[in-house]
Order: sequence, then structure tokens, then C-alpha cells
Amino acid sequence: MLAILVFVLLSGFTVASAAPAPDCSLVPGWQQQGPSRSYDADNLFEYMDGNAEGYLVYQFVNMHGVTCQCGDDILLIDVSEMADPELAYGIFGANRDVRQPPEKIGMAGQVLPRRATFAKDKFYVEIGASPDKNHSAALRAFVSALDKRIEGQTSPPEAIGWFPKKDLVSDSVRMVPESVLGLRLLKRGYVGQYDFGKAFLVSETTPEAASQTIAKLKERIGQTTPARVGDEAFTGTDKYLFGVCVFRKGRVVAGVANLKPGRDGIAEATGFASQIP
Amino acid sequence: MKDISSRRRFLAAGLVLPASAFASNSRLALMEGNPMKLSSSAPPGLQYRTLGKTRLRVTTVGFGCMLTSDPSVIERAVDLGINYYDSARVYQGGNNERMVGGALKSRRKSIILSSKSGATKKEGALENLNTSLKELGTDYLDIWYLHAKSHESEITDEWLEAQRLAKKEGKIRFSGLSTHGGHTSIIPAVVRHCNEIDVLLTSYNFTMEPVIEALLESADKAGLGIVGMKVMAGGFRKAKPGEKLYDTLKREGALLAALKWVIKNPHVHTTIPSITDMDQLDENLRAMTAPFNKNDEKTLMAQLEFIRPLYCRMCGECTGACPKGLPVADVLRFLTYSEGYGQFPLGREQFLELPNEVQQVRCNLCPTCSVECPHGVNVAERLTRAQEVFAC
Repeated sequence: MLAILVFVLLSGFTVASAAPAPDCSLVPGWQQQGPSRSYDADNLFEYMDGNAEGYLVYQFVNMHGVTCQCGDDILLIDVSEMADPELAYGIFGANRDVRQPPEKIGMAGQVLPRRATFAKDKFYVEIGASPDKNHSAALRAFVSALDKRIEGQTSPPEAIGWFPKKDLVSDSVRMVPESVLGLRLLKRGYVGQYDFGKAFLVSETTPEAASQTIAKLKERIGQTTPARVGDEAFTGTDKYLFGVCVFRKGRVVAGVANLKPGRDGIAEATGFASQIP
Repeated sequence: MKDISSRRRFLAAGLVLPASAFASNSRLALMEGNPMKLSSSAPPGLQYRTLGKTRLRVTTVGFGCMLTSDPSVIERAVDLGINYYDSARVYQGGNNERMVGGALKSRRKSIILSSKSGATKKEGALENLNTSLKELGTDYLDIWYLHAKSHESEITDEWLEAQRLAKKEGKIRFSGLSTHGGHTSIIPAVVRHCNEIDVLLTSYNFTMEPVIEALLESADKAGLGIVGMKVMAGGFRKAKPGEKLYDTLKREGALLAALKWVIKNPHVHTTIPSITDMDQLDENLRAMTAPFNKNDEKTLMAQLEFIRPLYCRMCGECTGACPKGLPVADVLRFLTYSEGYGQFPLGREQFLELPNEVQQVRCNLCPTCSVECPHGVNVAERLTRAQEVFAC
């Protein structure tokens, strides 16, 4: 009985634990400088004033951080917990250096000379380095240690893989936390950049909800023409989204937009729909 | 504190890119007295004010680009006539400036553009500026802000020198400072530096303590351009279900009412609400055509009613006087420093400068208070609160 109680308590503790606190001793030779820091959504601005909203939009929950020192080198390590893995992936994608490819660290990551970031499960890890020189060896060592410490999802959100590879600007698919394509009715989803324009995808809770979204989109765009893609679809033109082809497949609303002149939106959308299970 | 400044320095440093040269130097003066474009092509229904001594004519509703993910929203805003756009080096890891630059590429000459640097050293700030220019695809910023400062000590000679150099090189037209907190300390400091700082970007919304009004008025009188941010009190990203602010904001039209509340203050010249989608853009535009009215006040009333008993607006209209010699308005102001601005040390320091016998007064020992506030501040309760937090 006692063993069961201990097991339950330990399990409960594990489940309830927040962002794993980073620790300078994860890499030999580094010492903590000053106290550890913790923030939640109510006081993040005390640490991130001027940039806190950029975290809140990804449903930031809390952050734990330390400052580590080795000789003259200083690392600021912060681990943020988001509401779910998709949002952690999203904030990584929004803040990564898009001129450098992401690496396979957790769900995705990047190690640059003075900055390393990665997302794993619902956690987003950032490490900043000073002074101005190449710190990539130390950054990589901490990234590796933190990657081992954080458990959970290591594969990017499934929807990323549904975007067709043909004509896709490499690694351009990103998670958008609200108002996909600048439209409030497309609440949360993904956008990828293509040679022909953009592709987007939003998952609704049910096929019926997706159908309602399609109807609202039609109303917003105005003159539309029915098309045969997925379960229902239409084409149209918008002043800012240019040529569009939007379709529904099950509970997914997706399509192509900002089509360059001469590109066949229906063909591109059909290729996209075939990738969605 | 050390951590906070370190964080900004790190963020800024991590985003620095190699400096690049800029050849083009074309400028369009959207200035008062030079109303070209504005008078001939300004869409109807827009409201303009002059941004202090910069003489720039700005729409009272501008565009905060921080959270915008799709450039089409910015493109449409320009087409609709919004003429002030704000980004920062640190937003979205530097990706925001690139997106904003792409959206404004062909429209640069018809808008006023600002960005910010969190760097504290001159070299770092100027490197940030060069990167901002490159990413935004422009050869100059109309306004360049020192980002998120709340203490006078953060207005450093290094940074002022960076501003001077940037102006001299034609990379910026005007210098600015942005602040989210510590208003009672930083705004008077910016006023004192008004020969060197042209524009103040400050959080300002209906949930803030009335003392901010006087601070903005003094900044306006000093000739500073004043830009309001966080004008919707953080909206639903900050407010949570069960909180009074959430209940207020979820009322229909509350966010628009909040924006209208800000621009009804003539000392605020423009605003930069974060705009993420077309619907919000359309709604914000309405703030310029329909002034704040009784319905808006009613919508925001719940929050205003919540604030009213808490904060002294230092209007000097309180009736009566304390028979024990307590300087009522001063003590209430100290409490505002502490609870309104999160500056407990400043509030306590000022309280402890009161004569010792005044510090010993305990309002809860009086059966009734002889001082009343015409604006509904619960004087006795707030004084008691001040004595609880400071006199220990």
C-alpha cells in the first residue's frame, strides 16, 4: 500500500513538474552566476519587457533560467514551457534564423555562434552567449545536455509533413499561432512559402466546423467559383491574397494563396490535398 | 536587475548582423506644413496629429507590427491610410523586421517607420541600427527608440551618443525612448532630456493610474512626440477568465473602446496597437472616425470602477484636511508608486522622508476620515494600506 502511495505521489510530481530548470553543472567547468530565475505569464515582462507579448501569443506558461559563467564567457539559459508542443515548435520557428537551416535537436533546433534554440515537447530552450565570439562548442554542449534532460515529443507537428515538397522554399513551413494569412477566422495553423505563392493549413475540431470556416472564407472573398478538390473547394481572387484555391478535407481547411500569375491554383491545391490523410 | 539588462544585451547581441552600406537617401517629409500626399491622397475618416517637435503628421491609430505574421495585413493598412509602423530588432528573433520590410518595400516613402534597439553600448546599438536598416530594406528610420527603459540611469551617454551619430549619418531622423513601466521615474527623465530625445513611446491604457495623465501632459508640453502602446491593456493575451479585466474586455466593442479611450487624450499623438489580422485592422480604423462616447465608457466602466477607489489622480481637489497633519495626496501618491508602478523602494523612500510624527499616524485609529475624494478614492482605506506597507 505504501509502495503504491509513493508511486502515485512520485508520478503526480513528475506530471505536475513545470519547465525543467536548467543547470550550469550540466557541462563541466561552468558555474552559476547569481540566483536562478523563474517567470510566468503575469511577470514575464519583468524579464522580457518589450518582447513578452511575443511569448504570450504562443501561450507561454512559465520560464526557468540561469546565468552560467566559465572564465570570461557567460551563457544565459532559459527554458520556457508553452501550452503544447505545437506552440513550442511555433515559437522556435518564429525566432529562428531563417537564413540558417534548422537541425534535428528535439523537434527542431539551431546552434549559431552566439545563440542556440530548440523546441522539444512543450518546451522552448534559448541560450544566449557573450562576449562576441564563436561559442558554438559550449552552446552545443548545453543543448545536448538539455535535450537529454527534457523528455517528450521529438518529431515536428504532423501537419508540417503534409505540405508538398515540390516548389517548397526549404524549411519555410511555420506554425502561425493566430490569424493565418492575416484572417481571424483561420485561427491557428501553418503557412509554407512556395515558388508559386503560399500554402496554408488549419485544422478545425470537426468536419462541420471546417465546412463553416470554408463558408465564411467564401463570404469574405466574395466572388468565388466552386472547384473539385478534397471534400469541397473554391477558387477566388482577393486584393491582398491574390489568387486563392481553398479546400476542405475532413476537418482540415487548406489551400494556396498569393498565386503568381499563370499558376494553376487548383493543380497546386490538388497536390496538397493528396498529402493530407 | 542585472539579469534583466543582461537579457536585453544578450538578445541584442545575438541578433547582430554585419553592417552594410546604404546608398539611397530618398526621403519624404510627412511633415506639418508640408502636407503633400496627406491632403491630396489621405483616405477619408482618418485622424491626424502632429508628433510633437518632429512635426511628423501621424494617424492617431498606427500599426504595431510585433505580432503580425502575414505581410498582407500591413500592405492593406498602408493602402487604407495608416501611416505609422513600428517594429524592433528583437521581435521574432529579428524576423519581424524582415517581414515588415518586405511588406513596406514599395510603400516606404508614404509611411513613417520606427524600430528599436535594446543595446546599451554605443557600438552595439549602431550595429543593431545597421541591421535594422538592412532587414527593413530602407536607408533610414524615421524614429529609432532605446528599447524598454524604466529608470533614468538607463538613459546613458553612450546611447545618446549613438543617437547623435545615427542622426548625423542620416540613418535616423528622430530619436526616441520606449518604456513599459516606471513611468513616474522615466517620463520626467525623458522630459529633462528633451533636447536629445524627440519621441516617447509609452504604455498607456484605461487600466492605468490617473497619474499617467499628468506625466503625458508634461511630456507633450516639453515638445516630445508621444506614442501610446499596450493601448488595449494587453487584451486577452494578458487577461485571464475570472479576472475583472477579462470580463471587461470580452464585452462587445471593448477593445475598440479601449483604443478610443487612448486617442481621446490629445497629448497622445499616435498609438501602435498590435495588429495581427484584417478584422482587427478594420476595427481599429473605426477608432478614428467614432469618438469615445457614453457607450464606450459604460463598456469600460467595470474596470474604471475597479480602479477609481484605488488611485489618487493628484488633482488637488480633495476636500477637508487631516487633523493629524498627514499630507494625504502625497501619501496616496507614494502608494501609487508602489502598487501602480511596482516601485516599492521609491514609494517607501518618499514615505520615510515624512516627519517622524506623520509617519506614526495610523488612519485605522480614526473613527471617520475628514478627507474625501471627489473622484471616489477610498481615502481612509488607501492611507491605511500605505501605512501598512511603508511604515514597517
